[in-house]
Amino acid sequence: MKRTVLDYALKIRLPLTLFVVAASFIITFYVARPERDGVGYAPEQPIKFSHKLHAGQMAIDCQYCHIGVTKERHAIIPSVNICMNCHSVARKDKPEIIKLTQYYESGKPIPWKRIHKVPEYAYFNHSVHVNKGIDCATCHGDVREMDVVSEVKPFTMTACLDCHRNPQAQLPYLKVVKNGPENCWACHR
Amino acid sequence: MSDSPKSSNKLWKSIKGYNDDPEVLNAKTNEFMEGVTDEFDSSKLSGISRRKFLAILSASAALTATACTDYRDKGEIIPYNKRPEDVMPGIANYYASTCNGCSQSCGILVKTREGRPIKIDGNPDHPINAGKICAKGQASILNLYDPERLTDPFELRKKTVWKSVDADVISALNDAQSSGKEISIVTGLITSPTTKKVLNDFVAKYPNTKIYSYSLTNDQQRRNAWMDSYGTDEYPAIKWKDADVILAIDADFLGNEGSSIENMREHTKRRETNGKTNFNRLYVAEGRMSVTGMLSDYRLRVSPDSQYEFVMALINELNNRGSAIALDANSKLKFEKYSLSKFESLVGKDKLNHLVNDLNANRGKSIVYAGDTLPKEVHVAVNLLNEVLGNTSLYDYSNSFKSLVKYSSAAEISQLVDSMKNGKVGVVIHFDSNPVFTLPEDFGYASALKKVKLVASLTEAENESSAAGNYSLPINDQLESWGDAYVRGGVYSLQQPVISPIFNTRQKEAVLLTWIAGGSSAFNEDIYHNYLMNSFNADVYSKANSFADAKTFWYSALNDGVVKVTEKVQPVKFNFASFNGLNDLTPSKDFVIHLHDNYFIGDGKYANNGWLQEIPHPVSKITWDNYAAVSPSTAKSLKVDSNDLLQVKVGNRSLTLPAFIQPGLADNFISIELGYGRTVIGEVGKEVGFNSISLMSKDAQPSPYIFSNASVTKAGGSHELVSTQEQHSLDDTFVKDFHRIRRIIQEGTVLKYIKEPNFLHEEKEKLFSITNEVQYTGNKWAMAIDLNKCTNCQVCVASCNVENNIAVVGKEQVSKGRVMQWIRLDRYYSGTPDEPIASNQPMLCQQCDNAPCENVCPVNATNHSPDGLNQMVYNRCVGTRYCSNNCPYKVRRFNFFNYRDSFADSYYENNLTSLVNNPEVTVRSRGVMEKCTFCIQRIMEARSNAIRDNKPLKGSDIVTACQQACPTNAITFGDANDPTSPVAKLRDHNLSYHVLEELNVKPNVTYIAKLRNTHSEEIL
Repeated sequence: MKRTVLDYALKIRLPLTLFVVAASFIITFYVARPERDGVGYAPEQPIKFSHKLHAGQMAIDCQYCHIGVTKERHAIIPSVNICMNCHSVARKDKPEIIKLTQYYESGKPIPWKRIHKVPEYAYFNHSVHVNKGIDCATCHGDVREMDVVSEVKPFTMTACLDCHRNPQAQLPYLKVVKNGPENCWACHR
Repeated sequence: MSDSPKSSNKLWKSIKGYNDDPEVLNAKTNEFMEGVTDEFDSSKLSGISRRKFLAILSASAALTATACTDYRDKGEIIPYNKRPEDVMPGIANYYASTCNGCSQSCGILVKTREGRPIKIDGNPDHPINAGKICAKGQASILNLYDPERLTDPFELRKKTVWKSVDADVISALNDAQSSGKEISIVTGLITSPTTKKVLNDFVAKYPNTKIYSYSLTNDQQRRNAWMDSYGTDEYPAIKWKDADVILAIDADFLGNEGSSIENMREHTKRRETNGKTNFNRLYVAEGRMSVTGMLSDYRLRVSPDSQYEFVMALINELNNRGSAIALDANSKLKFEKYSLSKFESLVGKDKLNHLVNDLNANRGKSIVYAGDTLPKEVHVAVNLLNEVLGNTSLYDYSNSFKSLVKYSSAAEISQLVDSMKNGKVGVVIHFDSNPVFTLPEDFGYASALKKVKLVASLTEAENESSAAGNYSLPINDQLESWGDAYVRGGVYSLQQPVISPIFNTRQKEAVLLTWIAGGSSAFNEDIYHNYLMNSFNADVYSKANSFADAKTFWYSALNDGVVKVTEKVQPVKFNFASFNGLNDLTPSKDFVIHLHDNYFIGDGKYANNGWLQEIPHPVSKITWDNYAAVSPSTAKSLKVDSNDLLQVKVGNRSLTLPAFIQPGLADNFISIELGYGRTVIGEVGKEVGFNSISLMSKDAQPSPYIFSNASVTKAGGSHELVSTQEQHSLDDTFVKDFHRIRRIIQEGTVLKYIKEPNFLHEEKEKLFSITNEVQYTGNKWAMAIDLNKCTNCQVCVASCNVENNIAVVGKEQVSKGRVMQWIRLDRYYSGTPDEPIASNQPMLCQQCDNAPCENVCPVNATNHSPDGLNQMVYNRCVGTRYCSNNCPYKVRRFNFFNYRDSFADSYYENNLTSLVNNPEVTVRSRGVMEKCTFCIQRIMEARSNAIRDNKPLKGSDIVTACQQACPTNAITFGDANDPTSPVAKLRDHNLSYHVLEELNVKPNVTYIAKLRNTHSEEIL
């Protein structure tokens, strides 16, 4: 038996292999993590709607369109008739608005691409959070600065629990804030 | 074996083998077939090795997975184009409507989410059913999403279009009219005045039309008796809550007879244990074991054929002690020959004395009530008995039972069949009815139907009658329909669609209106809607004396679902001729057969509803079947056991069905439920149970449901009946009255309770815990169930099924103990098999503070929440089932399969049926445990509303599905930490107890012990 060969294999080759495997796993895990969590996902929408223009420059309140946000589970993506409140008059000649008018007149809904999603077995409720004074931007990022909306923060259970466990640090703008529930049935049922 | 040609083979696989073919003999001696062991030529094989093939396969799969899917894609959100003002995705809308399930036409409130109905509950504004409906009504939502509903009109089983159907039928109608042939409309009971108008219009347009109305189970005998006694067939409601003593004679008024929801509510108003006890006393004289019999304080075993004698003897006995009405001499002659002494040996002298004394002592405050299946003669006698006792003050004429279209007599239906046979009928229209199944066979309806040129069946799903005809025309489900109902005096109920028709169906009245108009072009979606509005304005608006204009009145009536108007009550007087002219009925010498309505599937209408088939029978707990119930001693004399087949013979009609030994039944008596044994039906209801209509006859006298002098023999063979009672059982069958010894059931009597209100807690042991107790500082959810009020109706089970997306598992899985219902009703017997005392107990997850299930879960999938709930997390569950094993109450349910997939070949796994699911509750798949959650989705909704309104969350904000559905409000839910809440008060009630308290698991479901209103302080 050649001792040197075995020594080489045990002392150098094995640790090196293990290191490479572990390093590549860790690097892939962390580098790919935001992508896995959906962070940075900014799909092309059927109409190039700019939140920066509407919510930022024109400072239209989020709730003008997302009417459900203080009332119920869903924030609600606005129906086309809400857009038409203004756009039946405003910027009627712009190509995107012409597209919008076509949708409205043909009675077809707009198939918006979904950006933020919690899994089906989690029952997130917008109104509970918003009525406690939590700002939309805390989870959705500063949408007022986005021409194309993308996911900024991960929507994982860890992300939820980070805030539920330590809201004082995560939501410094709230003077009074209690810990969120951590029990299973608060979200899963 | 002597005729075997060559050898003495006993078993053979093929004819060649039987004839000892040499080829076969050769094959037998050689282990391998010729050529099997030859070397193969590798050059002729494919160049790709197995390993390479797999490599290519996986590489291509991986490539497809990465290249062709956008794994970050999260789908689309499709908002409305123009959102209706009152519809918010995520918030439920409620619409008031009317149920078409049975003749009672209860007011319902339909919950819809994003435009699809997901739950039906009672309409709280409805004066009759006051916010509650029966199990059928609860589960009927599944019929809307039944995968085997007719989607299009069919002509001879081939899909066609309405236009051609309309043209064909209208020309056939015109032909029949011009050639003088009859046009027959066969319908069930009509409860809608507007439908009646449509039928009248139809008759006006086609004067040869005759309307036939038939219903398998009905109140015809009662109506006939009322007609004879009082000159009107509109009989009054009973003021149950004013009755101190009730004698029910084969009447399941707390089960499935008449306005049972109303009866249950009014009856249990006299079962309150708060402060004063004002209990009524319920006597039940019956042959079968009904729900009402189980709830009785005294149960007298009297077979239905003897009921006439029994009532006559009671009249005689009580008249001797005085009468509230002056009797003529002829009447006295009629009843004087009957004496109660005959019944002393049968039911016991004590019971009989108590009954007579109680009725005598409570004249004017008692009621005798006969069942729908009993012959007219008994009803007339009961009418007189109530007159003698002065009980007519308990008749409530202000909301009497109306009659819009009278049922056709057997003679009229026979005449129809004769005309059909003689070719005198040109067109038969089945107007949402199934006469081929529900009519007794000896009418010969099915064979006569073949002589009719055009048979159009308006039906939701293919049935026996539509299969026998040439046109199957799909009609709207009740949730897609307009309509109205006028069942009770002064109560007009409205029905509105809550979803537009899912398929190419039409409202059944609209079909007739199109035919009346004489052309397919007359049809539009609103044809009946407009007709109804006009009719409502003309009939109801004019009566209502409203200040509002007609349009406002219509919309407010639609919103409320019901309009109440005051109607004049005509005084009535008992007509002695009806009593004096009665044919005396004599008891049977041989077996008595009693056919009666089932509890859940109606006249077979709901037989394709898996939820309803799977709800256990309230008494026997049998699912997916009907059976011949026999008493233990009759079973012994017939030498049969449960499951053995019996042949029941009445005249020349016979039926073979399994026996079931039912404690408490009368001897030489068999009770069978109707409505089972449908043949042309969807996958669920096919061949479920036995068609007992085959025992009925067109000329059965005096009652179509009771047969004297029948013969019953053991048929040989058996059929497995599946009951849920022996499963999830807390008791040990080898120990008698174990449920009392272990104090699972704790009961007392009213006398005892008055004397010692705290009798239940006298010998209470002090329990100590070996662990530190968790303190609950916020809300702590708890439930209390009042066993005095629970009537065992199973509505909670149905409501829970719908609310919590509970799967149907099928008969075979039920037999393995895998039924998935989260709440069950346990039934215990004590006493003797002949005179059992039944105790019922709803059993659901007790949400124990020291839950034993939590300690044994290896993955912490079940654990405790800060508000005192025992949480079950599906995503963590790995399916060890340790928790279920360790649960002392046996309330955990395991998904042995993905039941939506495994039941009846994925019957309920399709895009249509999944619309019935509650979007707020996860649909569980295979391999996870589940159990009652105290309707956590409703708790969380109340919590979010409380946060929105900036109010503290209170227990009264939450109503669980079972609580909402309970017709008697036996279930209370709330916050145990709030001392003012009803549930906290009930936890401290004198009669409160926890099941298996000595285990110190600290359950959060409190039971209020049942009190029996007997003359003794002891129960047994």
